[in-house]
Amino acid sequence: MTSSADMCRAVAMDAEPGLTRQASFLPRLSDIYWVCWRELKRFVGQKVRIIMTVIQPLIWLLFVGNAMSGLTNNPFAARMLGVDNYLTFMTPGVMIMTALFGGIFGGMSVVWDRRLGLLNKMLAAPISRAAIPLGKMLAAGLQSILQATIIAVIAMLLGVRFACGLPGFLLILGIIFLFSFGLSGISLSLAAMVKSHEALMAMVNFLTMPMMFTSNAMFPAKAMPTWLQTIARWNPLSYAVEPVRTLTTEGLRWAGISGGFAAMFVFVIVMSVVAARQFERSIS
Amino acid sequence: MVKMETAGDDVTIDVRGLSKTYPGGIEAVKGVSFQVRRGEVFGFLGPNGAGKSTTIMMLMTLIRPTSGVATVNGFNIIKDPYRVRMQLGYVSQDLAVDDNLTGRENLRLQAGLYHLSKEEAEARISEVLELVGLRERCDDRVESYSGGMRKRLDIACGLIHRPRILFLDEPTLGLDIQTRHEIWRHIERLRSENEMTIFLTTHYMDEADALCDRIAIIDRGVIKAIDSPATLKSQLGGDVIYLRFDAACEHATAATLEALKELPEIKEISPRGEEHVVVARNGDWLLPRIFETAQEKGARINSVSLKRPTLDDVYLAYTGRTLRDGQGSREEAHRQMIAMRRIRK
Repeated sequence: MTSSADMCRAVAMDAEPGLTRQASFLPRLSDIYWVCWRELKRFVGQKVRIIMTVIQPLIWLLFVGNAMSGLTNNPFAARMLGVDNYLTFMTPGVMIMTALFGGIFGGMSVVWDRRLGLLNKMLAAPISRAAIPLGKMLAAGLQSILQATIIAVIAMLLGVRFACGLPGFLLILGIIFLFSFGLSGISLSLAAMVKSHEALMAMVNFLTMPMMFTSNAMFPAKAMPTWLQTIARWNPLSYAVEPVRTLTTEGLRWAGISGGFAAMFVFVIVMSVVAARQFERSIS
Repeated sequence: MVKMETAGDDVTIDVRGLSKTYPGGIEAVKGVSFQVRRGEVFGFLGPNGAGKSTTIMMLMTLIRPTSGVATVNGFNIIKDPYRVRMQLGYVSQDLAVDDNLTGRENLRLQAGLYHLSKEEAEARISEVLELVGLRERCDDRVESYSGGMRKRLDIACGLIHRPRILFLDEPTLGLDIQTRHEIWRHIERLRSENEMTIFLTTHYMDEADALCDRIAIIDRGVIKAIDSPATLKSQLGGDVIYLRFDAACEHATAATLEALKELPEIKEISPRGEEHVVVARNGDWLLPRIFETAQEKGARINSVSLKRPTLDDVYLAYTGRTLRDGQGSREEAHRQMIAMRRIRK
């Protein structure tokens, strides 16, 4: 039993044939299901976490949304926002943001699993290693669907109307699912390499804040200086916000939806492959 | 070096020249060979950092060996990791149970990961809950469990797929005496009633002594000796008897010692201060003979004590040192700290 840090390095370098190649059989759906099942059970068991998922967006919508509601009294600003109610503009942003936080912290569970020995236990089971990140990503996606629904209900109580109706709302949930699924893939891939949660937190925070403030989640891109507009255009967050906002404010206008949807699909596929590879190559 | 035996039908784990060198040149395991027999409790005894866990991780197919081969129930650990895993139950030293789930949910998860069908899973869950005596508490969240209960749940998780071989990595690390004995009883039962082969690592001598049929002493990645605890102890030269004679009858004492030296059981007698140290076989049989001889010669014995060699002495003899705590990485220290906290809760 040499230090586990050495073990990790050893295994990370073990990318040659042998065990690693043997272990990379395709994940069974049931393996992914069980990893996801556990995450959801944990989520349901943590009442504080569920309450916070309701309180946090409520605060965003009530305080920020109301504080900024004067903005739409200015016709110029209203034109930039494209709506006559800032809350309507902001709701998609809050939904995506919640999915962002839910997804990006998904890697934390791996750091804890490693500490508690649960990761080793899963690795010792006759499952494909890829099933571990994929199950966790699936759970992150499903959790964000629940959160987005709660936010939507709160927003509707506050007077927001979704232009897209129920079928369009299902599309919104679909985008949010894909977004959170992919993001947790980033976080899990990092967690496969990083051993301490301090380091993971630092990396994740480094990603989250700039992503949020250089996107169109809270403010219309049109109101940004040109350089920020350029960043916002390339920001993955904007790709998720765009179709959700189009659906919310304009309804099923395919031109505004399809691009974002396509981007989300690509994002999800890339992150699934990256995360799966990360787990096949490196262990505890 | 350890003599290579040919693997017969009664061998479940056959390890030949297994070694692991980590990048950076740390040789954790240096070509170990040993066989574990079907139905025995086999112990790996050694300090932290001796290579115990690395060996187990290789057998568990979690780490790829640098060289050497090993088979588990005939399945090669490098070529057939999936089948190897199905043969093995693994209980780590970390208390790897999810606190946020109930005991039953932990078992259900484990059953799912081992591809048991729903009906099979339910049947096995009640079976293992019965086995570790957790039936009453199985629907409570693990948060509320004591350290011993968590350990038993963890063992139950390792048994869910009915493995033929159970790996127990430091099964009683940090547990209090009472709980340790309880875990020992469970291990004994698994062996006798379920006919399992048990491979455990420990750095507790009394544990190895109480549970193991055979012990491998491992130090710095090398196996120093493999045998039953009794044989290992007797190889040390036997028991030690300390005699203190009455100084008044010096002549009789000398005559007694002369007579004792004739006994075949006695290997050596040497004076140490006011005492005489006798190294001998069958110390308990010998004591009455010593008294008889002393009486015949008219000597008087004021005090006597018999010391049996312990596994500690064996370990000392083979490795030149007592079991020390090796230094692990920071991450390792964290893990152990967390495991301790959870155990003692």
